[in-house]
Amino acid sequence: MKAFRFVRPSNGREAADLLASTKNALVHAGGVDLLDRMKERVDEPDVLVSLCDAKGLDQIRVEEDGGIWIGARVTLAQLADEATCRRFLPTLSEAAGLAASPQLRHRATVGGNLAQHTRCGYYRHASFPCLKRGGDSCPVRAEGGVQDTAGIFGNRDCASAHPSSLAPVFGSLDAEIVVRDAKGERLVPFAGFWANPAKGRASDTRLRPGEVIEGVRIPPRDTKQFVGYAEIRQKKAFDWALVSCAVRYETDGEKVTSASVWFGSLAPVPMRSVAAEEALVGTVCSDKSAAEAGARTMASATPLAGSKYKVALGKVALKRALAAARERA
Amino acid sequence: MPRRVTYEVGLIGHEEAKQGVEGTEQSLTVEVEDGDATPWARDTKFAYVGTDVTRLDGAVKATGAAKYTYDIQPQGLCFAGLVYAPHAHADVVSVDVAAAKALPGVLAVRSFAAATATYPGKIVAAVCAESETVLSDALAAVRVVYAVKPGPAVTEDAMRAGAPVVDPRRQTNVSGPRRGPTMRGKPDDALAAADVAVSATYRTPVQTHSCLEPHGCMCHVHEDGTATVWASTQATAFFANGRFTRALGVPRNKVRVITHHMGGGFGSKFSADEWDVLCAEFAQETKRPVRMLLDRRMEHLVGGNRPDSIQEMALAGTKDGIFQVLKGQTWGTSGNSSGGGAGAANFMVYDLPNLSMTQHGVATFSAKGRAFRAPRHPQGFFALESIIDAYAYKAGIDALAVRMKNDKHPIRQAQWRIGAERIGWTKHRHAVPGSDKGTIKRGTGCAAGRWAQAGRHMVGRSPLVFEFVVDKDGGVAVQNAVQDIGTGTRTLIAVLAAEELGLKPHDIDVRIGDTRYPPGPGSGGSTTAPSIGAAVRNGALRVKESLGGLLALQWGVDEAQLTWKGAVCHGPGDEKATFAKACALLGEDGLRVRGSRRRNFDAAYRETAGCQFARVAVDTETGVIEVEKVVAVHDCGVIVDSLTARSQVNGGVIQGISYALFEEKRTDRSLGDMVNPTFDTYRIMGIEDCPEIDVVLTSVVSGYSNTGMMGLGEPATVPTAGAVANAVYNAIGVQVTELPMTPARVLEALERRQK
Ligand SMILES: Cc1cc2nc3c(=O)[nH]c(=O)nc-3n(C[C@H](O)[C@H](O)[C@H](O)COP(=O)(O)OP(=O)(O)OC[C@H]3O[C@@H](n4cnc5c(N)ncnc54)[C@H](O)[C@@H]3O)c2cc1C
Ligand code: SF4
Repeated sequence: MKAFRFVRPSNGREAADLLASTKNALVHAGGVDLLDRMKERVDEPDVLVSLCDAKGLDQIRVEEDGGIWIGARVTLAQLADEATCRRFLPTLSEAAGLAASPQLRHRATVGGNLAQHTRCGYYRHASFPCLKRGGDSCPVRAEGGVQDTAGIFGNRDCASAHPSSLAPVFGSLDAEIVVRDAKGERLVPFAGFWANPAKGRASDTRLRPGEVIEGVRIPPRDTKQFVGYAEIRQKKAFDWALVSCAVRYETDGEKVTSASVWFGSLAPVPMRSVAAEEALVGTVCSDKSAAEAGARTMASATPLAGSKYKVALGKVALKRALAAARERA
Repeated sequence: MPRRVTYEVGLIGHEEAKQGVEGTEQSLTVEVEDGDATPWARDTKFAYVGTDVTRLDGAVKATGAAKYTYDIQPQGLCFAGLVYAPHAHADVVSVDVAAAKALPGVLAVRSFAAATATYPGKIVAAVCAESETVLSDALAAVRVVYAVKPGPAVTEDAMRAGAPVVDPRRQTNVSGPRRGPTMRGKPDDALAAADVAVSATYRTPVQTHSCLEPHGCMCHVHEDGTATVWASTQATAFFANGRFTRALGVPRNKVRVITHHMGGGFGSKFSADEWDVLCAEFAQETKRPVRMLLDRRMEHLVGGNRPDSIQEMALAGTKDGIFQVLKGQTWGTSGNSSGGGAGAANFMVYDLPNLSMTQHGVATFSAKGRAFRAPRHPQGFFALESIIDAYAYKAGIDALAVRMKNDKHPIRQAQWRIGAERIGWTKHRHAVPGSDKGTIKRGTGCAAGRWAQAGRHMVGRSPLVFEFVVDKDGGVAVQNAVQDIGTGTRTLIAVLAAEELGLKPHDIDVRIGDTRYPPGPGSGGSTTAPSIGAAVRNGALRVKESLGGLLALQWGVDEAQLTWKGAVCHGPGDEKATFAKACALLGEDGLRVRGSRRRNFDAAYRETAGCQFARVAVDTETGVIEVEKVVAVHDCGVIVDSLTARSQVNGGVIQGISYALFEEKRTDRSLGDMVNPTFDTYRIMGIEDCPEIDVVLTSVVSGYSNTGMMGLGEPATVPTAGAVANAVYNAIGVQVTELPMTPARVLEALERRQK
């Protein structure tokens, strides 16, 4: 790891100012993802602007309009354990409680979870070629590539799979990302937060240098929501989900009137399935409609030889997320 | 004069399981040399042996007070690190170390420019620096130019005709077959004539040792010309070899090697490695203490691995379940060595009148394999035990019954019964595999294990002796250079010494892991405990003799008239003295005596037996397997400390499940480098995935030595993968023939079944 300077602003605004005025600086939160990258010298920042002392960013609160604000420095353990989150955002709480391992959950933050870089083994070690790190092509896609964690959508250039299992939940809840830079704060709709991979583009988000995530806002709802989450993981702890899926829908008392379906670990960025949503609307939510929604989602999948099994897993995750939503109601 | 002793050996207790099994108890006559304690028999009454004794070093390990190599940080400590090749096969065109050398704080640099790198992890440069930060910058500043050449890094690619060869003197990467001892009868005729025959190809992955404590050492050359080396090694006695001491510039007799605590070796840490020699060179050159420990990536690349295997097997037998023939061919890679160690032990345990097993080594452009907990066994037993289940289903006979019919080991016969009872075999095992209803299907399976290590009386060419130091206050210290690699060696020594002297184990001061004491055996092959056990007893015996001599003198009686009962010595009349009282007769210098290990007897039980049963739940929609319970029944001769013994079995089972479900070195077949050399990408089973593990120890007086002990570390991991695989087969009705059994492979197998 290259030596770096460690600065600890006391709030989000100061952090944004520091980022604006410092060359080659990166935001540091829990460091779970960032320090690994730095040890491998995939990233070599001169300065870390740490949020560890930033006030207020470690809170979850219900806002006046009933929306919920989650600070960027809230840990996964907090999401899993705190009453507000458990009560109002059960799927988020559930996803957070299953992620990583108990130790990691106490360190890992929401902001870092959304901004974490891909876990692709090629990306994370400098001796491998990698399109995202500026190489000409993606070795995972090439003959001989190890593909078992690869994505099955949007993988024409880069076959990575977005590792966050909180992201699909945030997506399904129409979360907005609260982003701050030296000029002020802005709200970014969840779907607009992500950037598809490109040559030399390491980050999967549209965050620009100098910007910091202050928090995530979940808008209020006045109608009954059905929410469900499901994931499939090979190992119970210290591992990522192979596939995760979060759903939210409303009904007219019987049939689905609107639906939101998001997947994690299937594409380089969190993936919404409009095909699944369309398939669900107008049906009575059941395993049968879930199967149809899964089939329609997967109709456009482009799995690699080694990641074919994720097609089946994606369908099962969707079926189980929908079943969980029905059960919770 | 050797004395002839006839005594009862065999399985202690477990009366019900022994019923009707011949040979679980025997009478044995042995010639016992002078100075060797009278062997313990099946009915010997013990104070501590076979009971639960907590670890002597439990508290220091739990609090962190235990010092490992990394923790030893003398003033002025310097740090060494390595630059290594990321390619399977490349010429090292140039190594530019100028920028690294120029960095302030860099003390020494080595480069190996002329080399060809024939595996990822091949060292091309090494740096020694004053701080870890400078070291990291210096390593990053070394510029290496490689000319990359084609070089197959995985077995199947290296086997292809025309593949580039690892050893330029050879035409092909495939060596063997090695036939000799694994050929008998007329296998082809038997196969053709058999009632029931099955065949299949099984595959196992390259598994890395993944020791938590990395390989390496800290070398400290002192001003007086002596040196202390703290090493993470399984053999303090062999660490400071000629190459190492020459690099250090200190003669062997002045080098002290210390391994007080060790964080895992599993067979990969038997002598000073290349990087240790570099560390020694740096220590000599800089005249400062230097530490070199591998990074995690290097651990995975070169720190050792278990060869993979491809095993084509055919098994046939009668319709009532008697095996007639096993025929097979195997291939596996032990990296860029000529193929040694790549075989699979897949023909042992059962009676096989006809056998043909041809085994091939395959050289690949990857670092050498190393001995790994039960070399050749977990892979071999996975295939052997899998094909037995296939045969049993086809013959329509219960798979456990088939095993019991073909297994002649009396102890394992008893163990099969014990295990079956504890897992609930008759209740849970499906006669028709895959017949469980629902999405989550459960299944039960079993597999056998074996090992055969009774320890030795020598350490290399030196006799194995234990030194006892007794002071006049009654304090007892036991000294030998043997290391405790986490298995509980320290505690075991204390139990044995305490048993013999009538003291408490935790009162014994066990001084080990230090070459200033008499040489100790390497911790490998599950030989450590059975080697040292008998020597500890003999040392304790010397102590009693010496103290007895003093008492006899005081009491004016003949030494031969004394008897010891626990810690009390009795004279022929009503004279008696406690151990402490006897010690009070010693002078200020106390007592220093040695007991030596004698040759093994011609034993009654030459192989240890074991078997395991597993119950799993398989999610047939996702392919995820959960192991719910494992019953592990193991014999290791006489059990000394049942806590540490159980701990060994727990560890063996955990490592075995990890092998069955998770671990796999993944290599990019074009680039030739490992893509998962970290603990978050190289999956290893963690605590949340641990099943209930029910350990049953069957203590057996083997007859090998005065203790009757045998080894346990390795056999405990032999049956696990096979038992889990058979449970999965029983659950889903189809075999997953390749380890690890990932969701992708399970789903693939289920798809095959539907077709
Ligand atoms: C073994 C293992 C298993 C895991 N399993 C899961 C899992 O199952 N599900 C899952 O979702 N995740 C999983 N993770 C990932 C883990 O949740 C993330 O690495 C973690 O949340 C990152 O948070 P952090 O605070 O440590 O981020 P850091 O490492 O501090 O930062 C990560 C990145 O985000 C940037 N960043 C951090 N905070 C901000 C901010 N406020 N504004 C702008 N940029 C910011 C940093 O600059 C950096 O690039 C796992 C990780 C490990 C090691
Ligand atoms: S999958 Fe993406 S991140 Fe991984 S090597 Fe290919 S381009 Fe790089």
